[in-house]
Amino acid sequence: MAASLHAQNKMLKIGQSAPEIAMPSPEGDTISLSSLKGKLVLVDFWASWCAPCVKEQPELKVLYDTYQGGMENSRFEIFGVSLDKDRHNWLKAIERLNIAWLQVSDLMFWKSPVAGDYFIQDLPFNVLVDKQGNIAAINLHGKELKDFIASYLGNER
Amino acid sequence: MIRCLSFLFVALLAFSSNGMYAQQKPEPWSNKQLLETEKLASRIGQGEVQNLLILSIGPDALIKGSVGIGPASEKENINKLRAYLKDVAKGKEVIIYCGCCPFDRCPNIRPAFRALNAMGFKNAKLLNIHQNVKVDWLDKGYPLNE
Repeated sequence: MAASLHAQNKMLKIGQSAPEIAMPSPEGDTISLSSLKGKLVLVDFWASWCAPCVKEQPELKVLYDTYQGGMENSRFEIFGVSLDKDRHNWLKAIERLNIAWLQVSDLMFWKSPVAGDYFIQDLPFNVLVDKQGNIAAINLHGKELKDFIASYLGNER
Repeated sequence: MIRCLSFLFVALLAFSSNGMYAQQKPEPWSNKQLLETEKLASRIGQGEVQNLLILSIGPDALIKGSVGIGPASEKENINKLRAYLKDVAKGKEVIIYCGCCPFDRCPNIRPAFRALNAMGFKNAKLLNIHQNVKVDWLDKGYPLNE
């Protein structure tokens, strides 16, 4: 049974290939994580019902404005993956928080396969995926997250 | 004098912290009204569900046999909960769960449980989901709604 497999003490490892995520955006187009290869991608697992996730969004906005800035050819992207169930609540939160980066959700709450693929135990949770599509960091927040992104993009120059 | 002042400072800090506030504010359920997940899973597994109602008052009704009311932090869903229970006997075992997040962060369990108390349900229970419905139910392979 798939569920009991997840119960084993498996974990994501830094350096492993990031499991694929391909889900609909609010507009209905399927966006995949692999399509962002070549960039440093912050995959932010969140939900409108998760208070600490919602609280973190303005911090992500600062990172987005600093390193992405709406530029097509930027080397940074945020990929918001929501564990919402209710489409209306998901869209309302995106609008209220003024989120400009990519957003996807299969609207399956904790049943979403990504929760198993990424061994998510709690929200908020995130991973940083490097330009080769491998996991570069797991669950960094606040200053640690900011410093990692600054250092990664700085070292690349 | 300095010792006295620092004591006062520490006392003030303790009082203003959220932890202290949370401890002072009683939960609408008693410890006896917390139902462990393994107990419910075993009852569902053995088909001992005729005398109970399992209601999801969170984002989704994942648990087998449970009915989705919707997140109880929204007023319209509290009204739905009241309407759903209108004709149910007050002695009926009504088990609610959310499972979005740990209790200290869940916005749904308290308004729902207060509504059950206000309606006079004597045998109301809250499913004791420590982390979330994935870790404490799905990952354990417990029974799910199709």
